[in-house]
Formats: sequence, structure tokens, C-alpha cells
Amino acid sequence: MVAASLPPETPAPYVENLPVAPTIAPDSLSTDLTQNRIEVSSSFQGAKVILYGAVFQPKDQPSDVVVIIRGPRASMRLIRKTQVAGLWLNSRPVVFEGAPGYYMAASSQPLDRITDFSHRRLLGLGLDYIAMDTSRENKVVTRYGVKDVVVNGLESDYLDWRRAVIRLKTKAGLYEDNPLGVRFVDQNLFRAEVTLPSEAPIGDYTAEVWLFRNGQPVGYSEKTMTVEKVGFERFVFNVAHRHAWLYGLACVAMSMGMGALASRLFRRG
Amino acid sequence: MELYLPIAEMSVNVWLMAGLGVVVGFLSGLFGVGGGFLMAPVLVALGIPPSIAVASQAGHVLATSTSSVLSYGREANVDMRMGTLMAGGGIVGAIAGVEVFRILRLLGQADLMVALLYLLLLGAIGGLMLNESLRALLRTKQGLPPERPKSKRPVWLYSLPYKMRFPRSGLYISVIPPLAIGFTVGILAALMGVGGGFLIVPAMIYLLRMKASVVVGTSLYQIVITTLVTMILQAVRNHTVDGVLAFILLIGGVVGGQLGIRAATRFRAEQLRVILAVIILMAGLQMGLTLFVPPEDPFILAPTNG
Repeated sequence: MVAASLPPETPAPYVENLPVAPTIAPDSLSTDLTQNRIEVSSSFQGAKVILYGAVFQPKDQPSDVVVIIRGPRASMRLIRKTQVAGLWLNSRPVVFEGAPGYYMAASSQPLDRITDFSHRRLLGLGLDYIAMDTSRENKVVTRYGVKDVVVNGLESDYLDWRRAVIRLKTKAGLYEDNPLGVRFVDQNLFRAEVTLPSEAPIGDYTAEVWLFRNGQPVGYSEKTMTVEKVGFERFVFNVAHRHAWLYGLACVAMSMGMGALASRLFRRG
Repeated sequence: MELYLPIAEMSVNVWLMAGLGVVVGFLSGLFGVGGGFLMAPVLVALGIPPSIAVASQAGHVLATSTSSVLSYGREANVDMRMGTLMAGGGIVGAIAGVEVFRILRLLGQADLMVALLYLLLLGAIGGLMLNESLRALLRTKQGLPPERPKSKRPVWLYSLPYKMRFPRSGLYISVIPPLAIGFTVGILAALMGVGGGFLIVPAMIYLLRMKASVVVGTSLYQIVITTLVTMILQAVRNHTVDGVLAFILLIGGVVGGQLGIRAATRFRAEQLRVILAVIILMAGLQMGLTLFVPPEDPFILAPTNG
């Protein structure tokens, strides 16, 4: 939520772990965004950004394009409702860390047809492979006689929790899998639409574009985009966080002043 | 007209929010309650994060209460001494309540607590008020004289030390009950995110038995002070006050509030109390129902800040 409280490192470290990285020729792919700075002003109701790009591909070997947009990382707290003695009560919250505040995977055809499981997992392609962890649930135990084994306290429930995060975020319009989101305008030119709802988190976004041929990544391009508050919105936010006392007093003064004004106006009227 | 809120970080319809302010403000003016217990559930239902809804509506409560207390004050219907004493207790209670709320939120139990408090408190108070005011209405219809209070005032109220005169309220009692009532209401107000008028008014009528004419004005005066402190605390501790949202709500609220005060003169006090009792009862049941109805999705994203 608050951009300043996020860890300073930039997302998407996935490229480094990639076993096939050396074979990627970056010049086979060229991309850009129609906007790399999105201004959130009082009339902001979400934004639509077009990512377009060109691939240099031989006619007999058509390639697939996958576009991954990641918003700033934010930790999330998830609660599960459980029925106890007829009442629906809340469980202890589980904290998910490292998941992006916004995520969109657009591709030229369904991801499982583009590449195999290990690539999807490694590169974080698709909602099922978003990296997020619940490290605060981890505990050290002794298993099968081995000491200091780190296990997740959620055990087999972990998948339910994870799926719930994705379901809730998708419902809010912040996560999306769009298997047909990348459209080839002609043989070499493609485009993908990125829809940001008005609830989209403020901060830095990355657009990763992967080029796949025969299930192997052969091209990669990365662009960045910033969503930031401007003008009045920025001013209010900054004052509220940097001069909280002043802001609180100003809000109180505004409220009481308007109340007093109204009572005065109505007395005369 | 859609407007982006800088703290809530989402856009809302201005007319919808201002309309909500008018309706809640009207009811506040009519009954002399802050109206927070009605506004918070509606704001949350419209998608505003609960922590921001609760903190920002304080602006609306503050504005309508200020406007109302000035209107009532001119007619000498405010017992400043009693109100200040209660507010003193209320401020201490609110500080304690805000901390309790923070801990509950971290444990993920805040909305359970809110739902339970709404169900128990609003249910009990609404039920009692409805019962009492319906009986009073019935008696007037049958042409009988109004029921006399069974006992004058609880005896223990008079055996407490530190007595003080409250000429406006027609009381000579210990300062402990008003302080204790203020403190309790302050805690509950912070936990439920409301001004607490629906608790203060019955406490003044049934417990302290203050002069009826000063009850509404004094409770409003007390609400102004407690809400003022709560709002600043929320802004400083939790950064959850959205000034823009508060402004839209209170513009509607002050207009509605003044209309409500005018309308109040057209109704009889017992009739007003029946309506208020029904509204309180319904708000309590509506919030309490969430405890019994199976949730649509068993998982919920909880707020991360605070």
C-alpha cells in the first residue's frame, strides 16, 4: 500500500537463475510501452497501457510471446473464516511476502502450450507460478531423524491459502491471466493491453517480455513503468505521512469549520 | 462524477458519497446521534477499506456534531460541565480503545469484535428503547398519563464521593459516574469507530436521569470532543484519515444535519425514539448477521498497515 515501506530492491530476479539464459539473443526482440509514467490525479479511474513489440522471426518457425507485468511487491495478510459453534470466526492471519501488488500474464496462446512446467515455474509465467512465500509460518523441526529442517506450518493447506490470494486479487482486478492477451498484428508485430484498475498500487512496475520458440526462451526484453500520484493527490498523501499531526489538525479544523459554517448559514437562511 | 481518494487509493462516486452524507447527517440531526454506526457499515459495503472508513467518517461526525451543537447551544441546551467531564473520560477511553483496536487488527480479530459489539450493544439498546418507547406511545394513545419512572435514581449513584452540581442537568451527583460512562463509551467508540451517541444518550436518560432537554445537546458536545481526539490519533498513529473522503461526506452531512434538526421539531419525542430504536436494532442485527451467515469466500485479505 505505502510505496515507501516496500523493500528497496527491484523485482524480477528470475533471469539470473535461468539455465538457458546464455542462448538468449536480446536483439531478436524489441518492445516499448505507450506510457511509462502513469499519473494518478483526482480524476484517475485506472489506466490502459499498450505494450507493443517487434520480433525478427523466420517465417517457417513462428514464435510465441509472453508478457508479464509485475507491480510493486507488497506483503499481504490473509484471514480464513472458520465455523466454531455455529459462529463464523477469523483465523490468525497468514502473511504472504514477495508477491507483486499487480500481476498480469498475457500470452499469444495458453502458457502450457508455449513452454513446459519447469520454464513456467522458473520464469514465474502465469498466476500459478507467482513467487510468494509465507516465511513467517516456517518452523524448524526434526524430521526423519534430520535436525533443523525448515517446514511450512501451513502444511498441505498452503495451496488453499495460495489459491485464495490469487482468487481474491483476481476478483479485485489486480491479477490476471490472459492466454490470448498478446495479439500479432502482422507476422512480426505484436501488442498487448495492460489494464490498471484505480486500486492499482502506486510504485514501480516492470514489463517482462519473453520470446519462445519450440518451448525454449530465445528472446527477452524488459521495460519499466511508474504509477505515481501527482498534484493534489500527491500533496495530500505526503502531508498525511510526513506531517501527520498537522494533517490530523487540518482535517479536524476543516470538519469543525464546515460544521460551524453550515450552522451559521442555516440560521440566517 | 468519479474522484480518486489519495489515502484510500481508489476512486469513488462523489454524488453517492455526498448522498450518503446527507442521509446519515439527516438522521444525526434528527436524533442527536453522531451517525457513525450507520455510516461505517455502508462505506465498507461500498468497498472502502474498513480502517479508512472508520477514521475518515470521523470528519463527518465531527462536522455534523459541531453544526448541531452550535444550533442546540444557542438554545442553552448544552450542559458544558457534564459534557466536558464525560469527554475527559472519553478521551482516556479512546486512547486505550485505539491501542486495543490495533492489537485486535494484528491478530485478525478486529471485525469479529466489531460485529459482536454491534450485535450485543445495538441489539440490547435498540431492544430496550423500542420496548420502552412503544409502551409510552401506547399509553398516550389510550389516553393514560405517561408512566412514572419506577425508582427515582439508583441509590448507589448518590453514595459516591466527589459530588458536583450540574445546574443545567438538574443534578447533584458524584463525578465518578459521568467519568466512567465517558471512559466506557470512549473505548467502545474507538473499537466500533463511532461517536458513541447511541450509548451516551440512553446512559444520560436512564442512568443519570438528566433533564431531558439537555440530553441531546450535551451528548453532541461530548461527541465533538471525543471524535476530535480520535481523528487526530487515527491520523497520527494509523495514517488512515482520508481528508478528501471526509470532505465529501461532511459536505453532505452538514446539509442533512441541518435539515434533520428542522425536521426534529415536527415529531414527538416518543415517536422519534421508536424510529431510532428500530434503526439501531436493524444496524446491530445487520452487522451481527455476518457471524452466522456462511461467507461467500472463506478467505479475506486483511489490511496490512498498522
